[in-house]
Amino acid sequence: MSASTAPARRAITPPKRPLPSWRLPVGLAAVVAITVWAGISIEFTLTPLITDIGRGEPVVRGFLDPNWLFIFRVWDAWLETIAIAIIASLVGNAIALVLAFLASPVTNPITPFQKTMKAVMAVVRSLPDVAYGLIFVAAVGVGSLAGILALIMFNIGVCAKLTAETIDAVDPGPIEAADASGASLARRARFAVLPQALPGYLSYSLYVFELNLRASVVLGFVGAGGIGSTIRVELSRFSYENLSAIIIALFVIVFALDAFSRWLRKKLI
Amino acid sequence: MSTITPPRAPGRSFTPPPAPSKLRETIGMLAVTLVFALAVVLADANWPRLLEAPAVLGEFVVLMTQGVLQNPLEAPTNEYWTRSLELMIESLHIAWIGTLIGAILSFPLGFLAARNVAPPGVVVVVRQILNAIRAIPEIIFAIAIMLPIFGLGPLAGALAIGVNSVGTLGKLTSEAIESIDTGPVESARASGASRWQVIRYAMVPQVMPEVVAYWLYRFEINIRASAILGVLGAGGIGSILSALFNIRAWDRIGVTLAVIIIVTLIIDAISGSIRHRIIHGAAPRGVRRRRALTPEPPPV
Repeated sequence: MSASTAPARRAITPPKRPLPSWRLPVGLAAVVAITVWAGISIEFTLTPLITDIGRGEPVVRGFLDPNWLFIFRVWDAWLETIAIAIIASLVGNAIALVLAFLASPVTNPITPFQKTMKAVMAVVRSLPDVAYGLIFVAAVGVGSLAGILALIMFNIGVCAKLTAETIDAVDPGPIEAADASGASLARRARFAVLPQALPGYLSYSLYVFELNLRASVVLGFVGAGGIGSTIRVELSRFSYENLSAIIIALFVIVFALDAFSRWLRKKLI
Repeated sequence: MSTITPPRAPGRSFTPPPAPSKLRETIGMLAVTLVFALAVVLADANWPRLLEAPAVLGEFVVLMTQGVLQNPLEAPTNEYWTRSLELMIESLHIAWIGTLIGAILSFPLGFLAARNVAPPGVVVVVRQILNAIRAIPEIIFAIAIMLPIFGLGPLAGALAIGVNSVGTLGKLTSEAIESIDTGPVESARASGASRWQVIRYAMVPQVMPEVVAYWLYRFEINIRASAILGVLGAGGIGSILSALFNIRAWDRIGVTLAVIIIVTLIIDAISGSIRHRIIHGAAPRGVRRRRALTPEPPPV
């Protein structure tokens, strides 16, 4: 206690400001350096925003005059997109649940096996969905089957990681109780871990479904079916009126599904 | 062990409580199955090809592995590796600039979308704008807005990614701001701080670690997004990937995918450890850090 030994008459001086850590300036310098490097590399400039804004004019004009009828003319592509998203998220999430249990040390005591599964998941997740799209289009041909397979891989990557992290963080109480009463590994996972991980898992599954609608647009560009293929065709024909209508409809659908899944999440959890 | 009989009320026999009804679960399962079956019919997929897929994919994997296993120092292969790496770095640049644009734009918007900062009218409007941005895939931003003005190239990709990141980052920032500790805010107000001073000294220091972690997380996502935009011709690794698939150059595809996987894993690891350090702080000296539970940002 140094305060009690200090002479009582001394005026109170505020404590010295701590010296700023060296980390902050070094970190900021690194950020600036990377930014300059990246900016030069991609030739960053905002001048086209002033000089070439006119080039966007026909596009904007097209967008302001959407061809509403076109939405319904391609209605089978819409159905296909939604069907792809449903199949891919159900199958992908089911596989992801199994993988998540295998990849968490809480439920898989065989360490080398668990570590391998974790590594497999990281590799699956590191490839962008479009790479899977290209691979499966090459393997099973142009069409929605390629899109479904690509999205399944993508979903496994997203959902398995999030679910495995939820499993890592479950309350150990029920697990100990299951162990104490002599439960097998499978029963322990089923009755002590799954009920705890389920709310998180369902919420991630719905999230993945929302992602799938957006991702299927991208996959359509590489020939994997759905509304993305239509967007690609209309883009190459420069028919911005049709594109505008599709984008607005997509927007409405994503919005509606967002609201629906939020409602479902609240009901389930 | 002796069996313990539960104490009973005299004259009444013990009955376990009835099992809860499973009707709702059954109905839910039936509905999901029905929707799935409907989707399988409507998807118009060429299902029989699924049977051939494993064999074909196996063949691809063999060809790709051969490409990866070729001596990376010899004449054609070394060029594949360096070219892929160059383009992957360009993708990283696109993602970095895009994330930076998103971070700069979303930070003020996050405050405008937080109920404890902005008036309710502003909050509603800004939130709807953020939701709208989140609903549109970045590929649409790129083709609809950026390509006509900025032309085909990495800059258009970076701007599309930047604008698209604003939706998610703005939402996460506003949620972080809304969940701050009110103590510092009250004490700043009590000592006569202006609105700006409250934000600067009571709010920003509290949310900054979380917000920077979100920026890094978004950077990881944007790396993948920049690969997607490359397929449109917006530069980076995606452009070479689609070109290689067109000519079915499997050995080069293998090399390119290997570069994507390795670089992404390295960046994810670096970004993950920085995020962990920001959120949890340094481990106490002399204590070996246990495998930590890094909370992922909530799904958005």
